[in-house]
Amino acid sequence: MPTHREPALRTTGLRKAFGEHLAADDIHLTVPAGSFYGLVGPNGAGKTTTLAMAVGLLRPDAGRAEIFGVDVWRDTVRAKELIGVLPDGNAMPERLTGREVLTYLGLLRGLPPVVVTERADELLRILELDSAERTLVIEYSTGMRKKIGLAVALLHAPRLLVLDEPFEAVDPVSAATIRAILRRFAAGGGSVIISSHVMTLVEQICDHVGVISGGRVVAAGPLAEVRGTATLEDAFVDLVGARTGGTEGLAWLTS
Amino acid sequence: MAHLLTPGPAALAHHMIRMRLALTRNSLRGDKATNLYIGATLGLALALGTIAVAVRWPAHLPLTLAGWLAGWIFGPIFIGGGNEALRPEYLSMLPLASRRIAAALLAGAFAGPAPLVNLIALLSLPVYGLRFGPAGVLIGLVAALTTLVTMVMISRVIVALIGLYVRSRATAAAVGIATGTAIALCSNGWAPVVALGGTGPTAWSEIFVRVLPSGWGVAAVEASWPAALLILLAAAGVIALLLVAWAGLLSRRVVSAARGGVPVRRGGPRPFPLTGGARVAAAKELRAWWRDLVRIQLLATAFSYAIVTPLLLVTIGVWALVPFTGLVAIVMATASAANLYGADGTALWLTLMTPGAERADVRGRQLAWLLIVGPAAVVLSLAGTLAGGQTWAWPWVLGLLPALLGGGAGVVVLLAVTSLVPGTDPHKRGGNPLSTGADETAETSLAWLVLLAVPATALPAAGAVLLHPWAGLATGVLTGLLCAWGFGRIAYRRLQERGIELLNLMKHGPAPRAKASKPTTADLPLRHRIGVTIGYTIAWLPLFPQGIVPMVMKILGIDNRLWFLALHLPPIWQWPTIIFMIALGLLMYGYATLIPMRLSSSSSATAR
Repeated sequence: MPTHREPALRTTGLRKAFGEHLAADDIHLTVPAGSFYGLVGPNGAGKTTTLAMAVGLLRPDAGRAEIFGVDVWRDTVRAKELIGVLPDGNAMPERLTGREVLTYLGLLRGLPPVVVTERADELLRILELDSAERTLVIEYSTGMRKKIGLAVALLHAPRLLVLDEPFEAVDPVSAATIRAILRRFAAGGGSVIISSHVMTLVEQICDHVGVISGGRVVAAGPLAEVRGTATLEDAFVDLVGARTGGTEGLAWLTS
Repeated sequence: MAHLLTPGPAALAHHMIRMRLALTRNSLRGDKATNLYIGATLGLALALGTIAVAVRWPAHLPLTLAGWLAGWIFGPIFIGGGNEALRPEYLSMLPLASRRIAAALLAGAFAGPAPLVNLIALLSLPVYGLRFGPAGVLIGLVAALTTLVTMVMISRVIVALIGLYVRSRATAAAVGIATGTAIALCSNGWAPVVALGGTGPTAWSEIFVRVLPSGWGVAAVEASWPAALLILLAAAGVIALLLVAWAGLLSRRVVSAARGGVPVRRGGPRPFPLTGGARVAAAKELRAWWRDLVRIQLLATAFSYAIVTPLLLVTIGVWALVPFTGLVAIVMATASAANLYGADGTALWLTLMTPGAERADVRGRQLAWLLIVGPAAVVLSLAGTLAGGQTWAWPWVLGLLPALLGGGAGVVVLLAVTSLVPGTDPHKRGGNPLSTGADETAETSLAWLVLLAVPATALPAAGAVLLHPWAGLATGVLTGLLCAWGFGRIAYRRLQERGIELLNLMKHGPAPRAKASKPTTADLPLRHRIGVTIGYTIAWLPLFPQGIVPMVMKILGIDNRLWFLALHLPPIWQWPTIIFMIALGLLMYGYATLIPMRLSSSSSATAR
């Protein structure tokens, strides 16, 4: 049975290859219960692959993922009850309005109709989606899609939120709202994992970070330990062994 | 002049052709390459057949060329908007006038296999011209070129028109009705031609196929010099007009924001029913049917085909098919909904992340399909049987109706999860609402599979009717319930076990060839691949028009030989020929269906 001493997420040796390309190679991560965890890495580092395997949306070639001690690939139904997920770029029931999506998914999960109506109302209002009452999800902007995805992830009050790039394409006001919601969720004992490549944001809201590069974990732990005395951005550039470009070439652009 | 910002028309066309060729080269992997080779082979065979017509039966050349034109017009509608390797959206930010972009895109459009194959077919014009001397050959060559450009342009303009103006349920349904009628005419159009008076050179049908743009070439070859020149000039004028129209349509498409084929709405949506399980999934699915123009168009195609086909036969006094209108509609409607999960794209992740939702989703989709197709099919069946006064048909209609409804509701979800064809996610599709971005050949073979599987589920009921007229009703209800329940159960179990793989098939496409776990038709040896395609493409010919139709006519004692081979033979050979034709058709379908299945089961056995 899951207990509070179990980590919110523990992955052991997760591995996934797409053809010749090794997208995730022996990923070990431990996300303590109640933490706000930031998963960072350059584009194509394997963040999305890792999160998809951790929540049960992509079958790993090897390794395990446990959510509060529940094996994601053995006790799938129990694991799904514990998490709310916002994947990157997946479709939704496109021909429903935002309210209909929330109502449909809430009822499908077996929540009582009264609760579904209440929560859908509140989520739409707080995320400012209630003005688009007649708009189908297929007509939503990228930022609105992120917000309805977040509402779906929150709807059943999960114990762990796994959010892939939750702030991408979201306007500053909505981003502040989402940050506030996530902070309250964590303060109330919930656990959050976000992936991002905006270091200042991760530094502001996360207490733990994991750095992934080239399909491997190159650093993980409490924020203070990972960044040391530098900023997270400097530590990150150091860790992934990258060199910032853009100062040479392109002479024609300024002439 | 170091930076030439706007390249000249020739250079632009040249770039576009190279871009198109590069896109084709990059997509030439796996299934697509096989489909291309098979398509090109078949097309080539048809093209050579067209040239043979010009040599042996020149009187039928206009009709044959009209067939090619019909392919250009209805092909793109039927397979979802046509191949748009070069989307106009890619070029929307180039500082060029829309007419120049249109001309360049047109050049790109010719750099594909289909126009090339069609050009070979059109060489039938100079071949026909041989009969009229060197001038005939010359006129034929020019006419071949103008006809090719006209056909491709007509196709493009129609795709663009659909993309722009199919914005409401009414227009989507209208396109669907036109398509369904065209398909019905292609298979049974001979009936009204016969009814309306013969096939002489002055018959209206002959004049009709010459007036079509596809027939101008033949007219030019046959005409005197001045008249031929006039016809060719007129063709050039038509091309110019089409180009102007297309340019206008393209520039409007690029700036129109609408996407995904969403109809205009008035007022707020009706409140969502507060139930649970399969019923809430059905509510979602019903909304998807009502709010998706592609689904509405395909449904209209299915029903119009089912209604028009029997009516065409009525023109020659054959009422035998009228009672079965509703049954044909069920089968066609199942085929048009065959890729149910593929069409929704990666939205499947939500079903997979909701505990226990797989069952509700499958049952909900079955329920919604029954609610959409069932009532109309029942009404058509009852009305058709009553209107035709065909009392003998009652046991058949009442027995087969529940069998097919249940069978369709079962097959549609079963194949949707076992034979899913990945497309583009709905919110990422381009400005063409009818295109799902899926591999059209794979979608078409899936539709064919449905056209076979659904009638097969009604075989027990048909057998029971033969034994006793009213035993069919009980059998039909029983097998219908069993199919809907059993196939649905297999479908949701499969979704529970392999749903993740389906999701990733839609997200990332088929697994890389190096370690493909699920082989496709492309992995078959070439001769089997060609055999499978030929099977799917022409098996209907022996089975339906040369087998089942003459059988029905012989049983009913209708004395009209038409083009039915069996009925032209001496009586003693008639039944053997009919049975041979039906067996041949079934064998071809069986081969085409089972060979890929055997391959996939044998390799999954070795893989595990």
